[in-house]
Amino acid sequence: MPSSTPSQGRVVAVTGACTYLGGELLRRLEEDPRYSRVYALDIRPPAEVGGKVDFIKLDLTQPTVDGELATLLAKTQVDTFVHGAFLSHPTHAAEWAHELEDVGTMHVLNACSGVQPKRLVMVSTTLVYGAHPKNPNFLTEDAELRGHRDSRFVNDKVRAERQVQRFAKEHPDVETCVLRFAPILGPTVSNMYTRFFSRPVAPVMMGHDPLMQFVHEQDAAWALQKAVDSHATGAFNIIGKGVLPYTTVLALLGRVPLPAPQIAWRQLTKVLWATQLVGSPPSFLDFLLYLCVADGARARRELGYAPRLSIKRTILDFLGIAPEDGATDVARAMG
Amino acid sequence: MTDDEDPVIGDGEEDWYGDADPRVPDASPWPNRDLAFLEEPPPQPEPSPRNPEAELRELERRVEQSRTPVYFDLHKRLPLEGVWRRWRSLAMWGRSDVVDDFGRDPRATARWEWLFEFLYSKWFRVQAFGIDNIPARGRALLVANHAGTLPYDSAMVMHAVRRDHPSRRDVRPLVEDTVFHLPFLGPVMNRIGGVRADPANAERLLEKDELVAVFPEGEKGMGKLWKDRYRLQRFGRGGFVKLALRTRAPIIPVAVVGAEEAAPMLGKVTWFAKNIGIPWIPVTPTFPWIGPAGLLPLPSKWFIEFGEPIDLSSAGTGAADDRLLVNKLADQIRSQIQTMVDGLLAKRRSPLFSAFLG
Repeated sequence: MPSSTPSQGRVVAVTGACTYLGGELLRRLEEDPRYSRVYALDIRPPAEVGGKVDFIKLDLTQPTVDGELATLLAKTQVDTFVHGAFLSHPTHAAEWAHELEDVGTMHVLNACSGVQPKRLVMVSTTLVYGAHPKNPNFLTEDAELRGHRDSRFVNDKVRAERQVQRFAKEHPDVETCVLRFAPILGPTVSNMYTRFFSRPVAPVMMGHDPLMQFVHEQDAAWALQKAVDSHATGAFNIIGKGVLPYTTVLALLGRVPLPAPQIAWRQLTKVLWATQLVGSPPSFLDFLLYLCVADGARARRELGYAPRLSIKRTILDFLGIAPEDGATDVARAMG
Repeated sequence: MTDDEDPVIGDGEEDWYGDADPRVPDASPWPNRDLAFLEEPPPQPEPSPRNPEAELRELERRVEQSRTPVYFDLHKRLPLEGVWRRWRSLAMWGRSDVVDDFGRDPRATARWEWLFEFLYSKWFRVQAFGIDNIPARGRALLVANHAGTLPYDSAMVMHAVRRDHPSRRDVRPLVEDTVFHLPFLGPVMNRIGGVRADPANAERLLEKDELVAVFPEGEKGMGKLWKDRYRLQRFGRGGFVKLALRTRAPIIPVAVVGAEEAAPMLGKVTWFAKNIGIPWIPVTPTFPWIGPAGLLPLPSKWFIEFGEPIDLSSAGTGAADDRLLVNKLADQIRSQIQTMVDGLLAKRRSPLFSAFLG
């Protein structure tokens, strides 16, 4: 392991280096002269590793990983720890997911409380607010983390966030920052939403049409970079520009909506999930019923992040439709 | 060399290939190498004199090319692409690809405009007074009484301001949860400007200097029986006063007369309603006797009066936390609207007949 020289620049460790955001962060830090060394922690090496990046194999589901991590952090004098080892889509291996997200975060925080890096950045999602009929149109960071009933995918992240909140309270010296990303869409990212929208048909809860919000993958990566750079602490919603009703999103995507009563969809998705035919659990249907849209004013104010790409541009980019295409209005351009 | 003649073959087969061995990459000797890249590029054919139509066609062709969806195939055109594109443009019919923060869709609003205009001028024959009390710009909170099985009154207040106010302002009515989450109706109300009644939403709208309409009676107002018509119910918990104090928005009292007769509620059934997610099933002279058509309003004669703005900004910053003051103000405004309603009722010559034959 090469010894680091903190006097030359900042040293960053990134868990989940193989996720989309982790990989983008590595690439951006590689180009940034203020960072002298980046440690990519994951169970397999990231795709592109530059000269600054060192890959260290680390499995957060192992029971003694916190000790290993603490030794590593002490030896390498990491000053910024980015915790991004979270699943981007639900899995049937619920026990493993729990070990990785909830217990894995515990291991990370154990190591950080021993070594105390200057800064801790955690990657989370706005799904932790949960889709609820009582949600206001724009959820601020102070809103309750309702989580989501019957969804370990969301609730494990809520538990991880609670642990980080407690850690932040107990260790005021560590700048702790949580980024809650709106669902990320884009040409290269792969997560629950991109899989959901890749199917030619999509379920619609008959008579319901909530507003939806997406953040472009490049905007999301930029926000993560900003968060690593800055000294801001607390939770931040990382959102895209604008909202659109769910059925309009489907129309822009050219997906065929399949409207059916709620009960029918719930029963059908239960069967499809149990037989492992679809990647989204039945409880995800709540997000097609009620609002879960976050407010990005705090990130704009304190982090200096403002989304650059509109929701429509994000959707078209996900489809691979180039920006030259009829600048503002698809319906008119295609009519 | 023809096919018949064998090339001269040396001792080993390898020798025959010599420098030109195709198995060795880049093996052609120096003079034969392709040096085209060193030379000047061939002169491009001079563009023909400007032909806008051809240029447009070329541009369209390039746009078409760039539009191939990546999901199906990156390079090949997919067989159903034309169908897919047609479907996309068809699916966008009647909706716009930009909605505002709270979900109002300008194209959908325009699409329903005729219906509101018909209800306003032909069906209810609405007469609006004091519409100039609404400021031409800046925030204001419209506070109105509430009646009827479906919120026709909020639609008519919204339409009155958009139609008759000199600056055609848009009112954002706050809609109760029970109506907002109704299947089909809820999304439509959201698309044409309705916002879920939530203090955070109202505050955000007022901070953006919009006109917000609240119906503080809420569900109690909609659930009034015919015998209690035009008796204003309790004004919630005074949330609208707190809102006005916090955002320093003037309150404009609004009285709506006619909504009670449009859907006179003779009784309500509660025992089955909770199971289907609504607080009660209304019983009117027409509903549920003639089916869903019974939800259509009766053609009563409507009056809407907009009162003088009440400026609360002198109350100071801590006033929103003064519960006694908030409740007092809420009750004052309630009685003022009650007086306005009574005044409008007195304008109608006889209580029942002129309700319909105004």
